[in-house]
Amino acid sequence: MTFEMGEETREVQGMWDISTYNYLVDGAGIKLLVDSMKEKKIRGIKCPQCGTVYVPGPTFCRKCYIDIDDVVEVGETGVVMSYSVEMADVRGNPVDEFRVTAMIKLDGADTWIIGTISGIDWEDAEVGMRVKAFWVDNPMGALTDIDRFEAI
Amino acid sequence: MRNVGIIGVGYTPVFVSKRKDVNIAEMVSEAVDAAYRNTKLTPDDIEAITFGNMQTFEGVNMPHLWAVDHMRALNKPYMRIATGGTTGMSTLHSAYYHVASGLHDVVMAITWEKQSEGDSQVGLSGIVMPEAMVMVQHGMDLFGGKGMGAMGGGSTGAAAYQATSYLHHSGASPEHIDKMAALERSNAALNPYAHLRKKTSVADIQATPFISWPLRFGHTCPTSDGATVVILASEDKVEKLADSVAWINGVGCACSDPATGNFIEGQITDPAEQEPAKLASAKAYAMAGIKDPAKEIDMAEMYNGFAHQSLMWLEKLRLCKEGEAHKMLDAGALNIDGELPTNASGGVFSTNAIGASAMNRPAECALQIMRKIEGGHQIPKKIKNAVSHGWGGMFQYVTVTVLGDEPRHG
Repeated sequence: MTFEMGEETREVQGMWDISTYNYLVDGAGIKLLVDSMKEKKIRGIKCPQCGTVYVPGPTFCRKCYIDIDDVVEVGETGVVMSYSVEMADVRGNPVDEFRVTAMIKLDGADTWIIGTISGIDWEDAEVGMRVKAFWVDNPMGALTDIDRFEAI
Repeated sequence: MRNVGIIGVGYTPVFVSKRKDVNIAEMVSEAVDAAYRNTKLTPDDIEAITFGNMQTFEGVNMPHLWAVDHMRALNKPYMRIATGGTTGMSTLHSAYYHVASGLHDVVMAITWEKQSEGDSQVGLSGIVMPEAMVMVQHGMDLFGGKGMGAMGGGSTGAAAYQATSYLHHSGASPEHIDKMAALERSNAALNPYAHLRKKTSVADIQATPFISWPLRFGHTCPTSDGATVVILASEDKVEKLADSVAWINGVGCACSDPATGNFIEGQITDPAEQEPAKLASAKAYAMAGIKDPAKEIDMAEMYNGFAHQSLMWLEKLRLCKEGEAHKMLDAGALNIDGELPTNASGGVFSTNAIGASAMNRPAECALQIMRKIEGGHQIPKKIKNAVSHGWGGMFQYVTVTVLGDEPRHG
């Protein structure tokens, strides 16, 4: 190839301070989840037709396309579907201690949530390992009420 | 339904990080003109145009309309397609539908990205903004220690979970990702239209830092500026207009529930499951009359923003058994002169002008079939059937195009 780039063309900078958007969301499922977390419980929604349990729960089953609202409690133990190891923070700076983060399918749920697994060496993390949730002392009804997971 | 052939491909002269010498319209028109030059057609021959790039990435809306004259598209049917990472192939499929339906005989598909003019991360963030805002309101810990940062980190964070799951279920090792990365980067070194063109060893890849284990910096694609244009013609017109042709013999696409993104309603799908790839390829193979893809397909161009994905897709597209792709890699079968040359072009992993990335896959297959590859990555054996693949959306949308040296029968 003999292509040579031409001279730089004129460049003007555009700043786009994007307008405020007002998204309408149905927060029923996530509200149910964080409210239950205040009691150190994890609740989702079950489809009465196919039995799928969603955490957080949607308002309709995405397999059967029907409205659903049956509240069920799921376990605080579960299985690791996949994991990664954070070796840098979100800004790219190296972290002192590597952190294992995992997609965890809780017992009784068909869906996964993301959590940190503490107390193991990162090289010992495995797909399929069993883990248990540990709660913060004073849950406030927030996703961070689950402090961490540990291997069982 | 009529048979449709690709009769010409046009690339921008280079795919690079920053084309500072041309603006968007000027850059894309380079590829449009290249397609005309390569086919000896003129704008008068083209009946309709499809156009694709990513939404938001350059911070502009409706680029197809404000650049209509640069696209030589005045006074013609003209539509924009945007399906995420698959945009390029969806734009090709749209052009294919135009011709196969009998509505038009000769159609141009234009795809591009000029990532240096925008902010890809903003484009990606916009996909999940409402969900992310709800999660933050309920305590999602993007920057802290609760493990949620990985999902906030864009594609690599989410792809890391896919890679770990794939390695576990396939029996491949992280070193196989290094090896696939080195192979594709070395292929790209032979391709004048690739972006990262440096012969690369496994040791070179292993010298790059981990971003999110098991993915290293050397396992990830670049951001590129570039455009790819393809001209399609009906079977009646091919003979009259073209000196060579690659036939589009099968198309398929499918979508599963989001494997990442829609956090506020629990997600079922494992990001390495990729059921849509199985559905879309089954549809495309059936249409093309391919019964045993592992035997009948001569080459593959897979969409791989990350190096583990080439191996994963070969299995999902039934080009080998599940868990066999890394063994084919070890046996040299995926090399340019191997049994199933895979990403001879260097793949998305070496060149990623996103809107064009899923178009470059079938475009490369077409050029391989027509034996019009420039540079050193022409596959030596004769290509009868080739499969190309696009991937994107919320980790769950897949497009597949099967191409052949002869039109499909029946």
